[in-house]
Amino acid sequence: MIETNNILSTPEDHFLAGEGTYVLKEDLHLATPPPHPSEAPILNPNPLATNPQPATAGTRVSLISLDVRAPPPAFFRLTSTTTLSPSIAEHPSEGRSSNDAKFSSDGEGRGTSLSDGAPPTSSLTAVSAPAFGEGNTLLAPEKTKDVNKRRKPKNNMTKSNSSFISRVIINEALTKKLSERATDGLFAFANINRAFQWLDLSSSTKADYLTKILFTKAHCLSHDVNMLTRGPGHMDVIMGFSTGEIIWWEPVSQRYTRLNKNGVINKTPVSQIRWIPGSENLFLAAHMDGSLVVYDKEKEDAIFSPEEEETKPNAGEDDGTAKGIDFKKRILVLKSVHSKNQKVNPVALWKLSNQRINAFAFSPDNRHLAVGSEDGTLRIIDYLKEELLSLFYAYYGGLTCVCWSPDGKYVLTGGQDDLISIWCPSEGDGSLIARCQGHMSWVSAVAFDPWRCDERNYRFGSVGEDCRLCLWDFNVGMLHRPKAKVSVRHRGSVSSRMTALQRAETLGTTTSATRIRSNSALSTADGDDDDKISHPVEPRSRTAILPPVMTKQADKDPLCWLEFTEDAIMTSCNSGHLRTWNRPSDSSAQADQSSES
Amino acid sequence: MASFLNKWKPGVAGASNNASKEANKKKEEPAPELTPLEKMLQTTGPLRQDGSDKYFGLENFGNTCYCNSMVQALYYTTAFREHVLNYPLLTPADTPNEYKPKVNVVVRAPAENGSAQQANGKKQLTTAEALARRRQINTGQPPPGQQGVRPEDKPDTPEYKKKQAMLKGPILELAQENPGAFGMDECTFTGLRDIFMTLVESSTRTGVLSPQRFLEIFKRDNEMFRNSMHQDAHEFYGLVLNDVISNVEANARRLIEQEAKRAKDGLAASLESALEVVAKGTPNGTTSPGTGWVHDIFEGLLTSETKCLTCETASQRDETFLDLSIDLEEHSSVTSCLQKFSAEEMLCERNKFHCDHCGGLQEAEKRMKIKRLPKVLALHLKRFKYTEDYSRLQKLFHRVVYPYQLRMFNTTDDADDPDRLYELYAVIIHIGGNAYHGHYVSVIKTEDRGWLLFDDEMVEPVDKHYVRNFFGDKPGMACAYVLFYQETTFEKVRAEQEAEGLEEVRIASEKAGVAQENGQPNGQPSGLFRQTTTPISPTDDHNALANLDYAATAPVPPSQPVSLPATINQVDGVAEAETTKPIPTTKEPKKTKEEKEREKKEAKAVEKARKLAEKEEIKAKEKQRKDREAQLRDARKTEADNLRKALEESKKMAAQDEETRKKEPATPNTPTHASGLLNRANKGSKPMSKKSFGFLNKDKSKRDSDEGQENGQNGESSSGTADKHDHHKLKERFSFSIGRKKSSNILS
Repeated sequence: MIETNNILSTPEDHFLAGEGTYVLKEDLHLATPPPHPSEAPILNPNPLATNPQPATAGTRVSLISLDVRAPPPAFFRLTSTTTLSPSIAEHPSEGRSSNDAKFSSDGEGRGTSLSDGAPPTSSLTAVSAPAFGEGNTLLAPEKTKDVNKRRKPKNNMTKSNSSFISRVIINEALTKKLSERATDGLFAFANINRAFQWLDLSSSTKADYLTKILFTKAHCLSHDVNMLTRGPGHMDVIMGFSTGEIIWWEPVSQRYTRLNKNGVINKTPVSQIRWIPGSENLFLAAHMDGSLVVYDKEKEDAIFSPEEEETKPNAGEDDGTAKGIDFKKRILVLKSVHSKNQKVNPVALWKLSNQRINAFAFSPDNRHLAVGSEDGTLRIIDYLKEELLSLFYAYYGGLTCVCWSPDGKYVLTGGQDDLISIWCPSEGDGSLIARCQGHMSWVSAVAFDPWRCDERNYRFGSVGEDCRLCLWDFNVGMLHRPKAKVSVRHRGSVSSRMTALQRAETLGTTTSATRIRSNSALSTADGDDDDKISHPVEPRSRTAILPPVMTKQADKDPLCWLEFTEDAIMTSCNSGHLRTWNRPSDSSAQADQSSES
Repeated sequence: MASFLNKWKPGVAGASNNASKEANKKKEEPAPELTPLEKMLQTTGPLRQDGSDKYFGLENFGNTCYCNSMVQALYYTTAFREHVLNYPLLTPADTPNEYKPKVNVVVRAPAENGSAQQANGKKQLTTAEALARRRQINTGQPPPGQQGVRPEDKPDTPEYKKKQAMLKGPILELAQENPGAFGMDECTFTGLRDIFMTLVESSTRTGVLSPQRFLEIFKRDNEMFRNSMHQDAHEFYGLVLNDVISNVEANARRLIEQEAKRAKDGLAASLESALEVVAKGTPNGTTSPGTGWVHDIFEGLLTSETKCLTCETASQRDETFLDLSIDLEEHSSVTSCLQKFSAEEMLCERNKFHCDHCGGLQEAEKRMKIKRLPKVLALHLKRFKYTEDYSRLQKLFHRVVYPYQLRMFNTTDDADDPDRLYELYAVIIHIGGNAYHGHYVSVIKTEDRGWLLFDDEMVEPVDKHYVRNFFGDKPGMACAYVLFYQETTFEKVRAEQEAEGLEEVRIASEKAGVAQENGQPNGQPSGLFRQTTTPISPTDDHNALANLDYAATAPVPPSQPVSLPATINQVDGVAEAETTKPIPTTKEPKKTKEEKEREKKEAKAVEKARKLAEKEEIKAKEKQRKDREAQLRDARKTEADNLRKALEESKKMAAQDEETRKKEPATPNTPTHASGLLNRANKGSKPMSKKSFGFLNKDKSKRDSDEGQENGQNGESSSGTADKHDHHKLKERFSFSIGRKKSSNILS
């Protein structure tokens, strides 16, 4: 049975944006595996059956390039400007600087290879940010200078008799293909229900996966590839499952290690998983019970019991249990990264709320974390300090996706109100810049197009359950809020806002000096101290509405992922179609011009 | 097990003998296994007075699921339930010797293994019939040759669960005429009230109610429901509400006439009775039951703006609605369907608009916006579409997602509270391939027991995510058909979300457990292993606790006594110790336990104090917030007005116009010719609300002018009765008499 096939493009499939025509280049179909024979049939004759079903997350893809490519133009420009100086001067005694400083200096690698919707890291800010868990010597990795001698996971996947893995199919010509491929080609990793695939998009036979893993019952919901450690002979892939379990997999050697085995640390599904930027070993998993857990890929699991909050000055008010914690004001650090007990996993564990986390994203400066939850909250967390900075609310319904602008100023969220919201977290109460209306159903993924962003103009794209791809443009000057009152709020220039943010960061809050109290009708604030963190829902009459510049039904099934590459927009849908929409090419533009003249 | 028997022992007078016999019988047999619902209800406090803790199935008499699903949804619409129960206010004449009219309930003995029981000879036939009929329906006409295993004998099928519910009982039967209660003739309203009353007065929390009489009355009054065919639940909803409105209004009229007669007889007597009513009405804590309460709950106001493309004249007209019928599109959301509902629409070709200004039929642009948001927003998803190819109604299986919370985008600029937050609390689900066959069930969020699935006789707790199974794309042809959203506040939603978090965690881990390997090697069937019904995890007691916590944060129903007698065990706080003990009773505790008991009481007192304080705090906060809100809203409003004034200085005249309109939202808008509405109605599938209440618009212009004088909110505004004018006159005339006080009590 052919499980993937390649459908040739039809020239009619295209859409027009300001910059030209995007053309559907190809449609790669990744087969959705049927349930494992041991699984109860999904087709229950009783539509009212109440048996629980494992969580699914559609098709999620990450694109990896091993090569050093030119970063998108936005970064060039940003690095040359002075407005983005390192936000906090690094203390000379802060011993261990981030590992990826070395890597990013030797090649801007992260610019092109984006993973799972994460915005590319700007090398500049990465240099300045201290590494996660810095100062805790127990976490300092043993230096392995030789890249080729990276530690591999313990178990051999092909020879495994684990009941967790049902089947592993490896391309016969894997080694040959790997050695012969062009070094700048894109790898794609994709999870779709209980299948996980590794494809080479640069190959002429890209439909032939390099490896396909079928798990027995668990659905893989999210995965990520470590940008720091990737190389021709080694890649660190982590996958999060509907059972809460996590697999660290090295595709070249086909070895793997299971973490959080049988849910020993957390039993709830992993909705999103990402490597902590700049770390070789640490990654962050969002569990559906509202906790964020930092794991070390090489540490053993241990049954987790909450530790005292020793790093918190205000820890006295709670007894370490989830009860009585006001999640509007803070996150609950059940285990700090600075804990002295670092022999086993988890490295750190933070409880954000009791509601499930749908998505999170690291800021490009590797300091902040934006977390979107099912209860409609967006949390901005300083994960280095393990502190909640801001809490924003969706207009209504849950938030499904989140991402940062390449310069780290803006955060986008998409949700069940069919809206994409643009936030500027450093602006306090005025941080809702605009609501973007154009999808006809829930939004499932958002991403900036770094190739079409500069200091003032931003381009981003979104996909939704309405099967549509929307493109949006906004620029800093364009977004006037239709506010009834003449705003006392001083919307400063880019640089002044940045200084506000800097100051806020040094103070440990996000209060900007010019913020005014706004007790909106939809306010949640019930105390003054709370006010600084928790921001009320903005009424519709005071919010700018942004229409899309382009909307296009991009597939027949609800879309679940999109990503911008240098020369295309890629989308995936719930049924496994991976589509590539080529950017308007110069040649065609020239052809248009010549035909006109 | 004693606790369990206690629990379902029917306490209705006259049936206790019967019931104790039943109880004896059951002792000999192995006690039936607890249903998930009963398990959930195991650790609950005393029965509440407001009926919010009654979870009864409704018997199906053959294709009457449209009624059952909708009646359940209406019952759990708290405001509606309370009003139904409290209407009409009893006058001394109605309750001689403090005798409150009782509902004529018969407790039918639970059927045994499908055959009617002899215990209750009178009802034997009906039981047998009903069971036979139901079996026939539920089995879906089984092939005659196959007599092996009937669906109802297989555990985990809905048929089995329904049969168990019937076996378990108690079955409260409403089959007899109940004329003249409360001085009202038997009508849809009294039928519905009898159902609600029976549930509230029932001494058990679970059971089955047989709404036979209600259906008989409803069918008597509504001809098209008189067959035994599959009916449209939404149509039923419209008709029931409509019936209730007209019944209540008819009663109000009758009372006024009565009063007028009495006023003639003697002013003094009428004054006395009027005063009595007032005196009686307030301490009961009942809100003054006017006739407009149905409107208050369900009614919203739509404005359709029509702009003639020839003369550019824009005209507005207002229409009330009890629900919104929205067209569906594949892969859309309710939000977007509502936007579509308000999208601009061209009236052209056959649908031209009759313009008063330039005369004759013209092309026009029309859009509908919501001017006043209702408290309860009923959204009818138009899944049944008439297709000319088949000349029949086809069901659309579009995937339409609906969020747990909702705000409306399509409000007019001058709407009050345009950002009003709604929460989903009931979903009517249609299962089946077309409009002529199928089954209705409802999934309803109850006040403090989370989401429950009501499938005729069966009631089952489900988790929150279950509500999302009916977007329309799942196999099994089950789709959401009517969605009920109710007004809520941001704080309430927040508090609830925080509380349900623990439950969430449990569910998530349960799901994980399903997908998790259970140590069996590949290929071995483990189906049986997981074939249990809704899994009850061993942490059940803990959940009950969590639920109770949750209950504490819910607002206290007005009729509940604030302080409970100390002898009644309050489960909060001590439930852990209590879980193995029987249901709390008022019996004296044993002496050996005295010490313990005292401790418990102390703990209870502390707990109570804490809760009270919490409540107070919440209240205070709420109040504070509201004040601020009001302030801010005012400030904002004035600001907005100022700005607008400044901007529109040049068009001063226009601005002033708007200002005045803003101040008096009830002033009539330029009434247009009715053809606008008719045009819309012509377009194939027309919204039900307009069909069933279309006649309300007949005297539209008159009503519009009336609205200036009346509050617009009382029942008068859309009575829809032909002799409305007389009615009005009557009231006016009456207002001069001394009985005025009484009539206002009834009418406003």
